[in-house]
Amino acid sequence: MNGFVQGDPMLCIGCRTCMIGCVVAHEGLRIFEIDPDGYDFHPRLKVVKTYNVSVPVQCKHCENPACMAVCKSGAISRIDGAVSIDRALCIGCKSCAEACPFGAVEMVTLGGVLNADGSPKATANKCDLCKDVPGGPTCLRVCPTAALRLVTQENMGETIRLKRLGALEAALSQES
Amino acid sequence: MPSEFGLFVSADPGKCSGCKACELACFQSHHVKRNKVGLTVGTVAVPVTPKLYVTVMETASMPIQCKHCENAPCKAVCKQFAISRADGVVIVDEKKCIGCKDCLMACPFGAVSLLPYFVDGRPVPQADSDEGKVAAAKCDLCFEDTAGPACVRACPNEALHLTDVDADRKRKNIAAAEALAVINAGVPERGLL
Amino acid sequence: MGVHEIEDAALLFVFGYHGAESHPIVARRIVRAKQKGAKIICVDPRRIETARIADMHLQLKGGSNLLLVNALANVILEEGLCDYDFIEKHANGFDEFKEVIKKYTPESVTAQTRVEAADIRKAARMYALSGRSMILYGMGVCQFGQAVDVVKGLANLAIMTGNFGRPSVGIGPVRGQNNVQGACDMGALPNVYPGYQSVTVPEVRAKFEKAWGVKLSDQPGFTLTMVPHQVLHETDPKKQVHAYYIMGEDPAQSDPDLAEVREALEKCDFVVLQDIYMNKTGQYADVILPATGWCEHDAVYSCCDRGFQKARKLVEPSGDVKTDWEIISLVSTAMGYPMSYKNTVEIWNEVIELCPGFAGATDEKIEKNVCVQWPCRSKEDHDKGTSFLHKDGKFAHPDGRAKFFATDWRPPLELENELYPLTLSTVREVGHYSVRTMTGNCRTLRNLEDEPGWIQMNPADCEVLGLAEGELVKVLSKRGYCITRCLPTGRVAKGAVYMTYQWWIGACNELTIGNFDPISKTPEYKYCACKVEKIEDQAWAEKHVREEYELIRGRMGIDMKEGRAA
Repeated sequence: MNGFVQGDPMLCIGCRTCMIGCVVAHEGLRIFEIDPDGYDFHPRLKVVKTYNVSVPVQCKHCENPACMAVCKSGAISRIDGAVSIDRALCIGCKSCAEACPFGAVEMVTLGGVLNADGSPKATANKCDLCKDVPGGPTCLRVCPTAALRLVTQENMGETIRLKRLGALEAALSQES
Repeated sequence: MPSEFGLFVSADPGKCSGCKACELACFQSHHVKRNKVGLTVGTVAVPVTPKLYVTVMETASMPIQCKHCENAPCKAVCKQFAISRADGVVIVDEKKCIGCKDCLMACPFGAVSLLPYFVDGRPVPQADSDEGKVAAAKCDLCFEDTAGPACVRACPNEALHLTDVDADRKRKNIAAAEALAVINAGVPERGLL
Repeated sequence: MGVHEIEDAALLFVFGYHGAESHPIVARRIVRAKQKGAKIICVDPRRIETARIADMHLQLKGGSNLLLVNALANVILEEGLCDYDFIEKHANGFDEFKEVIKKYTPESVTAQTRVEAADIRKAARMYALSGRSMILYGMGVCQFGQAVDVVKGLANLAIMTGNFGRPSVGIGPVRGQNNVQGACDMGALPNVYPGYQSVTVPEVRAKFEKAWGVKLSDQPGFTLTMVPHQVLHETDPKKQVHAYYIMGEDPAQSDPDLAEVREALEKCDFVVLQDIYMNKTGQYADVILPATGWCEHDAVYSCCDRGFQKARKLVEPSGDVKTDWEIISLVSTAMGYPMSYKNTVEIWNEVIELCPGFAGATDEKIEKNVCVQWPCRSKEDHDKGTSFLHKDGKFAHPDGRAKFFATDWRPPLELENELYPLTLSTVREVGHYSVRTMTGNCRTLRNLEDEPGWIQMNPADCEVLGLAEGELVKVLSKRGYCITRCLPTGRVAKGAVYMTYQWWIGACNELTIGNFDPISKTPEYKYCACKVEKIEDQAWAEKHVREEYELIRGRMGIDMKEGRAA
């Protein structure tokens, strides 16, 4: 099973530290040394605030990814359990953004990169579980209220086991 | 605020009946001025050449048309600069097209075709052929029509819609965020919350 | 009480305080309290983050604070939920208090507070009966023309239910600014010397005169917010302000009615600004003294819970800057009073020498214990400071007893009207701190939010004006206007709009009113009348905002590479 990061609206305070952490993790510390307008700020998760919830929304790393299915340029693939986008291959057709039911894929324009014809390069952008970042997903490490957690095959199995035990206990207590 | 990214028409194969009303509407709307095509069959004196292509399989059908890619491969490969992108719409200028077919090959969707090129009801002449010139053709989002894409309006099954990925994403984000309240409530380790 | 006590309260009563926007670190304690099983009652006109996780959200109408507080007291009285033993042993003035409060039935305030009587009753019961109720309040209480009365009203609730003098109870002001507690502790108030020792008490004055070797005035000075008046309108030459020395403050951005502030800064004979970055006020300064930032010098900060904490120098400052204390010493010396401190420890030793309440908070003790909350009177190791005040019901009044204080509600000064149908309240946003002198220079925070900021509006109000999210709008009051972006959100009530006060272009203090609480002199930032206008030519507005931003940054000397600005 692919792992994924899940936010909890009861713990999230909407501070967006995760969004900054995400950019710093992917762009590297160099962004603090170059021209402040000389890099792209494209967080791969988005804190959404509605009447009822504040919580980051990001890719679920679906087992049968809709984004991957519709991609005709071969830019989306599963790498070590992370559904990932190869920016070099992305033609910006937006099909994946349309296909994702969570809105977890965002189209972004890359400031410093140009297409062969001189137009600014755009790409689909989404969470890659920080697959290339030591220590794993940055968002959950920087969250001040620990509102994000990494769901893995192991801990999800444990969660489900607990639920089943709980359901059994509830049934037993009803009988006695 | 207007979308930063190009809009495009997308189709729902679950709703498409393969009737090709979209193709006819597309053809008609693009040839009103150029070839005086009206709303009746009798006004059609040129080949019926739509810019979207209803594609049929045994179990499903839907029109295939241009996504107006941000880094459009068709545009990238065109050596004649016949393909341009303005306000998010990728457009072919038939006058410049020499029919090299690179764009047809480059487009991963098959959204570009070579079509006869008629003006004022007559083929645009070609030195060695009576049939006249052909040119690359693809959806241009009916940019000249203030009412928007003709195909969307013509579809009897409402299978087509104009998609703004940013607006679409915001809507889906909100639904996903609201769902997380329910999803997290089902996690027993969460305790008192 | 200490900030760390928040998470162990049985009930948190959060009144006019948006922790998640103002102090995420305190908000974390609120979340943890919830995780530990605390009940939360949130009183706020907006659906703030705390309201989302609260057991009750009383979404009162702005400006009706005292009505609600008095009604809560009324319920506690009427339903006999008081801690009569505590009141008898530790408080005075209960009978007079009851006399004022008895008319504030929940039903009588429902129309003006827009809170259901049943909800007021339920909240009052929860607060009175939890066993360990803590009140947290913020600028939603303090930034009104009637502010101190509401603070006293909240204290009434705590006294009458015995919620004082134990861990995780009491009333906690969660203060507006970084180290504002420290500034007050050090006597940056017009009426006291360091350690809250009054300038009008002869013995105190004598002590400081002896220590400093100079004659000191026995007259309280002016508060910051009174300066425009003292410059522009004061007729008594002895009370006129001619020179204005501003340290780490940006009144041309943060004070109400900016048009008047600018006039005052222009007409003031001499303005000195001491800050770490250029700001709006700097444009009016005759002299700018560049100072070091927080990691470039050693310092002691006071947290909002009276805790002294050390901040250490991490990097060598670069450029032509000096620490604040060095600048003050040099200015003082140049003016004929030599100051020759060698380091901050020397200064700190003088502070604790002269302030009995801080006497025990030695540099070594702060170093060792990380944080020492005053009062800390003994230098001995056993005195680790005071986490919560009023232990065993001993209060600061001379007789050691608390004093009930009740008064009647006053509406805000400028009410919504036909011309200006909306009410404006200025608020904060997480990420940009205060006037953003610091955070505006932090690139990733600027990436998250930049000029001209947002105006939070109820979607119904947006619909009337035909406004979409992100559209630039003009916001006007009797005093001025600014341009900002529209943010439709169901989190704010109809008729009320909210803006954050740090934007240069979306400067909401162009609109705010110079109405002050009679005691604290804090401005009524949370209430004035305004209107929002649609801008038809959005392309022009976008261009205007871009150009304005470049202009302001240019004037401040911010390096702008071509085509890079904004």
